[in-house]
Amino acid sequence: MTWLWQLVINGLIAGCIYGLVAVGFSLVYGAVRFFHFAHGAVYAAGAYVCWALYTELGMPLTVSAMVACLAAGTVGLAIEHTVYRPLRRKNSPSLILLLASFGTFIFINNLLQLVFGAGIKTMRASVVTTGHNLLGGVVTNIQVVIILASMLLVTSLALWRSRSRNGKALRAVADDRIAAELVGVNADRMIAMVFFVGSALAGAAGVLVSFETNIEPTMGLNVILKGIIASLIGGVGSIRGALLGGILLGLAETLGTWGVSAGWKDAIAFSILVVFLLVRPGGIFNAEIQVRRV
Amino acid sequence: MEYLAHIMAMAGIFVILTIGLNMIVGYAGLPALGHSAFFCVGAYAAALISVRYGLSPWLALPIAIMTAAVCGWGVSLLTARLSGDFLALATFGLAVVTYSSVLNVTSITGGPLGMSNIPPYQLLGLSLDTPWSFCFLVLGWCAAVLAIAFAMVNSPFGRVLRGMRESTVVVESLAVDVSGFAGRAFSFGAGLAGLSGALYAHYISFIDPTTFTPLESVTVLLMVVFGGLGSIPGSIIGATTLVILPEILRFLGLPSSMAAPVRQMLYGSILVALMLIRPSGLLGRYKWR
Repeated sequence: MTWLWQLVINGLIAGCIYGLVAVGFSLVYGAVRFFHFAHGAVYAAGAYVCWALYTELGMPLTVSAMVACLAAGTVGLAIEHTVYRPLRRKNSPSLILLLASFGTFIFINNLLQLVFGAGIKTMRASVVTTGHNLLGGVVTNIQVVIILASMLLVTSLALWRSRSRNGKALRAVADDRIAAELVGVNADRMIAMVFFVGSALAGAAGVLVSFETNIEPTMGLNVILKGIIASLIGGVGSIRGALLGGILLGLAETLGTWGVSAGWKDAIAFSILVVFLLVRPGGIFNAEIQVRRV
Repeated sequence: MEYLAHIMAMAGIFVILTIGLNMIVGYAGLPALGHSAFFCVGAYAAALISVRYGLSPWLALPIAIMTAAVCGWGVSLLTARLSGDFLALATFGLAVVTYSSVLNVTSITGGPLGMSNIPPYQLLGLSLDTPWSFCFLVLGWCAAVLAIAFAMVNSPFGRVLRGMRESTVVVESLAVDVSGFAGRAFSFGAGLAGLSGALYAHYISFIDPTTFTPLESVTVLLMVVFGGLGSIPGSIIGATTLVILPEILRFLGLPSSMAAPVRQMLYGSILVALMLIRPSGLLGRYKWR
């Protein structure tokens, strides 16, 4: 049964990354109600900034990681300012925002490819060690960091949204933007904050991934798709649901590739998406935000 | 001048693809984002039939169109309850599934290596494998597709589609089977994508999954939106412009490792700019809902 346990561990780690991306995505969806597809490009940008700072400029690892998160947050903020805000001003339907988001995604992805090249980059953050033995499965230090960091980030974000004053204002904007503005909440500022925080989380996910595996310019597509699926499983808009959805998706993918080749991961994930969209669009908990249907 | 013919042939293939998607997105108002899947199905169906079973490419063509059309009908059944962004997402997801299936069923599709030696079309003892001869074949098909598309959008069928885009509730109250019409729009659009896929496969004579990445669907949608939602002349303009435009990069002397990302960046920024300035496109009369 050792290999089964190893599959569970691998699924958990992949799931944490999906979860982190899904949480940022879900946070944005909760505030502005459209699919921020370019979130995947922000994640890739975070990974590349960390790689460039650490490998090319020789900065310490922690500094590179922090700066990369902040840079990713700034990229998210820039997208909100240049693309989404003008569109919101024009009262564009969510579909237009989604298409613009696709355009932004393609733009950033290819900008990364132009600057850093299409090849795979590797960051060796530490000496490769054999890893710890956990109930028969192998876990490396980095993987432990991935799990702990994502739990910590998501918990603090959930607390921030449910307890702090800004979090309350944010929930008000998500519920009814006009009513929130009537009682003096600066909705645009709150939305900008959401983009910064959500994108910084995506950056963190990118940084964590770059510690563990290789990075390439197209890495964002796969992850944003999984992030969207994860947040739909958990009920889009919910923070804890997004993390849980990410972990469930990671487990389903790794356990699903049991008999077939690992190349089928995406097909499994998307079959889950289609099933959820059709059968339970509000996610497993059936949702604080109900999905719009015909 | 071979180069010019090649560009014309590619533009023609994309015009057919764009008209098909415009029928679904622009006329029926169903924001589908998975057109690369039908293009892929058509190309692989044609290639499989003519390479594995040795049938004539001319015979492979109708089979490829039918296969893609049936897939389109299936997709519309599967997504009948979805609308708006959720439909866009689900169809994009199906394009990912198609892409990864083509990549993984190596025994049939050849996986990442693709399929080569796809025979060209033969006409009166000539094989249409040079850019010029093939270019005329594609232009002929374009003319036929245009004639059919114009006839369709002006027929009662086209009126129902346009009605569906304005309000499914109103159309339904007039006893129109909305999901049936959605299915027909989808299979027509997908069938055209199958046609262009088959033409592409027999022209290039080699196909591999990288041509059919899910993001290619966004490019085709961009062509539809650029020309105009629900406008067939718009689709011609949109597809031709966006096929020719990146070729300018070639004359600027960019190395090919740079030309590919710059081309995609151009597409990305055009899409964003269109959404900001004129979301219904150059000749589009209808708005997104």
